[in-house]
Amino acid sequence: MSRHPAPEELLLDYAAGALPEGPALAVALHVALDEQSRRMVGRLNAVGGTLIEDQEESSLDEGALAFTLKRLDGLEVEPRRLPAVPRQGFDWALPPLRPYLGTGAGWRRILGKFDEIRLDVPGDFHRVSLLRLDPGCSLPEHRHSGYEYTVVLQGGYTDATGNYGVGDFAVGPGPERHEPIADPGDPCIALIVVERPVVLTGPWGRWLNPLIRRGWI
Amino acid sequence: MLSAEEAADLIEAIATHQDRAAFASLFRHYAPRVKGFIMRGGADAEAAQEVAQEALIMVWRKAASFDRGRASAATWIFTIARNKRIDLLRRANRPAIETEDWLAVFAPEEEDADTSAMAGQTYTRVKELLGDLSADQLAVVEKAFFEDKTHTAIAEELKLPLGTVKSRIRLALGRLREALEKDES
Repeated sequence: MSRHPAPEELLLDYAAGALPEGPALAVALHVALDEQSRRMVGRLNAVGGTLIEDQEESSLDEGALAFTLKRLDGLEVEPRRLPAVPRQGFDWALPPLRPYLGTGAGWRRILGKFDEIRLDVPGDFHRVSLLRLDPGCSLPEHRHSGYEYTVVLQGGYTDATGNYGVGDFAVGPGPERHEPIADPGDPCIALIVVERPVVLTGPWGRWLNPLIRRGWI
Repeated sequence: MLSAEEAADLIEAIATHQDRAAFASLFRHYAPRVKGFIMRGGADAEAAQEVAQEALIMVWRKAASFDRGRASAATWIFTIARNKRIDLLRRANRPAIETEDWLAVFAPEEEDADTSAMAGQTYTRVKELLGDLSADQLAVVEKAFFEDKTHTAIAEELKLPLGTVKSRIRLALGRLREALEKDES
């Protein structure tokens, strides 16, 4: 199976801290799963470190150090923290995802075809969802009106552009329309970050698209 | 000047015995650099100073998580300052999950640290490499880091086709990979 890494320009956006929260979460999960991308982000962080080290100093207000030292009073150095343990049934949820999966988060059946958990990402205009698709099942045929980022967390899927396994990253807009089908084995779970609502192109599209636009489904 | 080893020693002194003198030394070296870095992105002096102070307080709180085998002090402090910039400037007044909780590189614990490449001697190598980049390539990389802009926003600002910006980034990152890959293995 060929590897589908995140494009390097997106790794730069991520390392520089320029990505909105939704896409940053998608890249964080990919980076946690893909060693080569993780190494590249490590190198880019080292570029950031070098730029900080070489940065001309801009002096702080007088008293800034004393003020900051005072703020350390009663501020413990935190013990090295282990990532939160995933909830039962959520073992595919890597550390970057866990803060978003509160105890109330659960799968919701959509159109009788797949399950979704919509993540609450306040302040980001992207729609951020986890989707779960049973083996052999497909998402309704749709096209994208904006960028879409997908990272596979469990199982895999295949569409016209190839086969995607755990850790693989896909960026839309891809082909005009696409219909991903979940591979055999475990259900496919992926994080999907969509810039603008998707548009269904099948026979139900004209009835369902207005509801999708309003964020009801 | 503060060498990479000295800076790492200072962070470890905070981690092991809450050493306030070590914190003060780190603050004197890094807070004015972080402030300058943030101001290059267009933030005013007051906001940049707040990011610098909050970043250094985070250095204190998280000192025990620093691992000199994985990253140099400057690299680690860069990631903290970057996340503070997001939390304080970009997401101002928007309650959200603290970036520090997840915007990190989560390498599996058992994975071998990328020894030398991520740590001390990287500074000199990366500095050399940045000096070798073409002016066009360097401009795009600097805009991303200093101005906190995505490649799409950079293309719009420079009125360049998106493909041109992508290829400049890929060339620059290819050279970065070549320069550091040998050290990492």
